Amino acid sequence: MTAVDVSDLQRTFRTSTGVFRRTRKEVQAVRGVSFAIEKGELFGLLGPNGAGKTTTIKMLITLLLPTAGSARVAGFDVVKDVREVRRRIGYVFGGDRGLYERLSALDNLKYFSELYGVAPREQAKRIGELLELVGLTGREKERVEGYSRGMRQRLHIARGLLHDPEVVFLDEPSIGIDPVGARELRATIASLTAVGKTVLLTTHYMFEADELCDRIAVIRSGEIVAEGTPAQLKERVSTARVVEIETYGVEQHVVDGLGVVGGVRTVGLEERGHLQVVVLQCEPDAEVAREALALLGDVRVGRVTHREPTLEDAYIELVGS
Amino acid sequence: MTSVRIFFKGGLTSYRAMFGWLHPGVAIPVFLIEPVAQILLFAFIGRSAGVADDRFYVIGNALQFASIPCLFAMAFTIDGEREAHTLSVVLVSPARRLPLFLGRALPVIANGWVVTLVGLVAGMLLLRVTIPGSAWLPMLLVVLVSSASCTGLGLATGAVALRVRDSAVLANVVYCGLLIFSGVNVALDQVPGWMADVGRWLPLTHAIEAARRLADGQGAGSIGGLLVRELGLGAAYTVLGLLMLRWLETSSRRWATLDRV
Amino acid sequence: MWKVLHQIAVCYWLQVKVTSTSWFDGVLAVFYPLMFATATLLVYRVRGDADGMQFAGLGAVVMGMWTCQGVVAASALARERWSGTLELLVAAPTGMPRILVPTTLAFSTVGLYCVVVTFLWERWVFDLPLHITSWPLFVLGVVVAALTLSLFGYFLAVTCVRYRTAWAIGAAMEMPGWLLCGFVVPLALLPTWLHPLSWVIPTTWAMEAVRDAANGSSPWGHLGLALLVGAGYAVIGGYLGRQLVDSARRHATLALT
Repeated sequence: MTAVDVSDLQRTFRTSTGVFRRTRKEVQAVRGVSFAIEKGELFGLLGPNGAGKTTTIKMLITLLLPTAGSARVAGFDVVKDVREVRRRIGYVFGGDRGLYERLSALDNLKYFSELYGVAPREQAKRIGELLELVGLTGREKERVEGYSRGMRQRLHIARGLLHDPEVVFLDEPSIGIDPVGARELRATIASLTAVGKTVLLTTHYMFEADELCDRIAVIRSGEIVAEGTPAQLKERVSTARVVEIETYGVEQHVVDGLGVVGGVRTVGLEERGHLQVVVLQCEPDAEVAREALALLGDVRVGRVTHREPTLEDAYIELVGS
Repeated sequence: MTSVRIFFKGGLTSYRAMFGWLHPGVAIPVFLIEPVAQILLFAFIGRSAGVADDRFYVIGNALQFASIPCLFAMAFTIDGEREAHTLSVVLVSPARRLPLFLGRALPVIANGWVVTLVGLVAGMLLLRVTIPGSAWLPMLLVVLVSSASCTGLGLATGAVALRVRDSAVLANVVYCGLLIFSGVNVALDQVPGWMADVGRWLPLTHAIEAARRLADGQGAGSIGGLLVRELGLGAAYTVLGLLMLRWLETSSRRWATLDRV
Repeated sequence: MWKVLHQIAVCYWLQVKVTSTSWFDGVLAVFYPLMFATATLLVYRVRGDADGMQFAGLGAVVMGMWTCQGVVAASALARERWSGTLELLVAAPTGMPRILVPTTLAFSTVGLYCVVVTFLWERWVFDLPLHITSWPLFVLGVVVAALTLSLFGYFLAVTCVRYRTAWAIGAAMEMPGWLLCGFVVPLALLPTWLHPLSWVIPTTWAMEAVRDAANGSSPWGHLGLALLVGAGYAVIGGYLGRQLVDSARRHATLALT
């Protein structure tokens, strides 16, 4: 059974700027997005800023009406069966806001339990379980204004799960979190599908999407440009190998000149601290290192590494072109 | 020369940026509706109590209302810089303190001046109050002086606001203090002695007295002493404010309280 | 039914916690009208007008309630937006009235606190004990004022949220409200063309009821009118609230974050 069914979803925004001479502009944020998420799946929505991820999510959580197309969440239409949808979904977004600063974590959870229709006699038990799940037990009586970003994020997740939703929407949940905190967060997210929940995750972090998601859709300028498992997406990348050459100062025209090496598809240059790393995306089984090094000539070179393309490479190729 | 430039340019930019009060959605309710409402409120209270005439209340409240921009603007300017974390930037800059903060004061004083005049004119139109033509020119001066001295108080308030978290609360408290003690709605000789004594050490009191004398038809000569006292008080509060700023600046460098929001 | 009441009660209690722990909404909302009440009484005291003092003193006690609601409610939703919770509220399966009314009730509660503080202040500072014939009816009048104000506040909240400067609108409503509700100036003194404005504010009628309770006449007529006007605002507010959320979904006009 599909938990989320999106069919040709579109959303246009009309914006007007200026106080005296109002100029109207139409922006098509989402131009016909379609995908389906099976029950119990962890689905990733990847894309650069402004690609339409947040707009898509907002349509699915009934905060925005689509201008065309349709979507069903947990079996209910997002336009017509608003209340039914809201009862079955949880929405978690990253960042510091979204909580009542002057209340304690416990009070915040109580407040939202009421709003999301959790039965009074179940609230205490549910809140206790969720605090345990996100690791905030013992700190729930403190005011949120004293919480770190990581703690707030965990509280957000607890809040999103209060009414035991079938589908959970996570909008960039690990933004601004330290690596250890983020790892714990990822473990928590992974555990959600273990208990049968469906998760839609948007993120900027490729390794996170790679690690967590069963399937991923890449969205760019309001359209989905690719969809599949992380492995499938990596395969889609036209290169099978990536060669990285560390250099200490190389000029652009020299780098561009590497394009002539047989087997090289694209040439890129990345700044990593004081190094400049030449990234050669190559065809499978192509041996390019020796020729490339020869072309680099006098340029001082550091390590040369070969690696499989990562999801990030796939992503860059999909959204960059 | 740099001081003069800082004085004018720095002042206006910061004012607009931090304040956002020049937006009509804010300026109209705050600078038009509120002062007029306050004038009308007390004019009607006066009528109901059978005390003094409409003109008494128009002058008192119009002048007192000028303290809104003067108090709040200075407090917000300083507080706003702290919120935007630019305060440490500003204080660390080599610009000299005096023209820096006084430059921020200039648009505020002008704002207060305009607000009072709007209040006066509106009050006169709505309540059919008249002020003799000869009084207008000296009146403009009185209003300017009162704005300036309120701004001095505003600077002192803003300096304290560096330590207090919510400067809006403090500015409101000071505003109420002026309302009660400066003879805005009750002449100083009709309140308990201790209140009158407090009033005489606050800005606004002498300016209101001067404005009322002018409106009563007394010549500009009669108000000289009052204006001098008003300016003196304003200057005293300004100096107090600047001293406090310096003290708070040094102590916050020790205790790192400056950027705590 | 029980679940709805439980939800309103819990949300109300938590919003009271949020509001009363704020310097601006909690303390200042009480202090500011208290100072204006003081200024008013100082004027009435000049001629030693005992009746005038009673009149103004009684009105001043209720005056603060208007500040606590009228000023604060206008920007209630704006503040939710600022703290990032507006989206969560709108996306909840619970309807907007059941979310907002507990909040405006919380504002009214702070207003009740203002009543007590002003009462004591008048007694201690002005030596002005208020002559109240029927205390139960007085309390009833004050409670009705609180209730109808919260309905009016709900209306204000959904109306003003579209304006980025909702707080300024709220602030500008304070003194006109004091004047129009007849707290410290008899309504008869106001120009006749202003009277209809007074009539459509529920607090005007609640204030009349409070005065009735103080001087021993029957307050029921005025209480009824107050409740009627308050109910009117509840209905209009409910309608506008639905329009608001609908429009927000359709045109993304609410700028939910």
